[in-house]
Amino acid sequence: MRCGPAQRLMVAAVDRELAAREQEALDRHLATCAPCQREMAATGSLLTALESLPLDAPVSVSLEQAMLRRVRQEGDEGAVRRRWWASPMAPVLALAATVVLALSVALLRNAGETPARVAAKAAARTGERVARVPAAPAVPAPATAVARAGHPQQSARSELPLDPPPALAAAPELFMDLPILRHLEKLEHFEAIRTTTLDQPPAADERPDEQG
Amino acid sequence: MRAEPEDPQRPQMSLPVAGPHTGAAPAAAGETVADPDVAVMLRLQAGDEAAFQELFRKFSPRILQYTRRFVGSEARAEELTQDVFVQVFRFRHRYQPQSRLATWVFTIATNLCLNELRRPERQLRVDLWDDERPEGPSLPDPQALTAEEGASSRELARRLETEIAALPSKQRAALLLSRLDGLAYEDVGQALGCSEGAVKALIFRATQSLKRTLAEYL
Repeated sequence: MRCGPAQRLMVAAVDRELAAREQEALDRHLATCAPCQREMAATGSLLTALESLPLDAPVSVSLEQAMLRRVRQEGDEGAVRRRWWASPMAPVLALAATVVLALSVALLRNAGETPARVAAKAAARTGERVARVPAAPAVPAPATAVARAGHPQQSARSELPLDPPPALAAAPELFMDLPILRHLEKLEHFEAIRTTTLDQPPAADERPDEQG
Repeated sequence: MRAEPEDPQRPQMSLPVAGPHTGAAPAAAGETVADPDVAVMLRLQAGDEAAFQELFRKFSPRILQYTRRFVGSEARAEELTQDVFVQVFRFRHRYQPQSRLATWVFTIATNLCLNELRRPERQLRVDLWDDERPEGPSLPDPQALTAEEGASSRELARRLETEIAALPSKQRAALLLSRLDGLAYEDVGQALGCSEGAVKALIFRATQSLKRTLAEYL
């Protein structure tokens, strides 16, 4: 055995982890090589010094507390994320949103509108309605009461709830930011969707009461 | 790995100390080799917050010492130690009981330390092993027969810490994990993402380098 391979075995030899054959080969080499004998002694001293180094460092209370604060914050954030996914309403509302979106695309394509234009209009209308709607629970304004008397379709539209349905209101974190969902309640008024927009009154020949 | 029920009469199994590094000793016939840390980790996975504090108090002194030696900065070592246990908590469900918990925790610590060393804005390391520090390296040989031996041992320990900090990062990690923290070569390889043979080569190069720089003390 040469010095190079012998030196590679020295750490394992100090740990007594060499196979019998390797140990014999190393012993034979050390018996005739003074430099490797010194290397072997130095290896033993080094490993002893290493094992004498302190293994632990004192951990301050402030370090533990800082770590626990971070972990608790992680736990709180994780709980919110889990609640979102774990909510029993999440799949129901996701399905409802999918149905609404599909219906709106189909209806509006029939009416010659593209979904992008509809979404843009809905967003604009939502902005206007937010500016118009007071903070108090929706109450028919005097102007709409006059309109109700003069035009039944407009009256029905003005009585549409301005707040989201209770299921969404109870779980605001599930309320996806789709313009169509802000008008979810309007699904109850298919006639209104098909024949009117929020901006324009229905055409005279399209009013349901005139279609017999 | 099956965790044995806790037995107050059974002595606490401490963290692995330096010793044979080729793997765990083979179990006697009929004896179950169980890592009690695994039981604590399983409790944490089940939602037991007290288990996490147990793990922290058991591993944090060792991890803090490891990160101190690795990055050479007291302040950064404390931050990294926090990071280690935040990661332990965050990814607690990824831990598989088939591997030793110490290996998993040290793997996290090693990765964070290696990332720290790769940061371009990292300053030169502060010498932690200044004799003026009150919490400098303790007398490594309490059985020293003479004051001169004690002083010599202390000086060797101080120089050894300095030279370890000067080693290339992977050699340093391999040396610390195997020689100080007592991980088997296989576990060190897992922590470093290399083979057992590569770990032995890293340790060989590290010890050769230390023998050269500390020749006057050895």
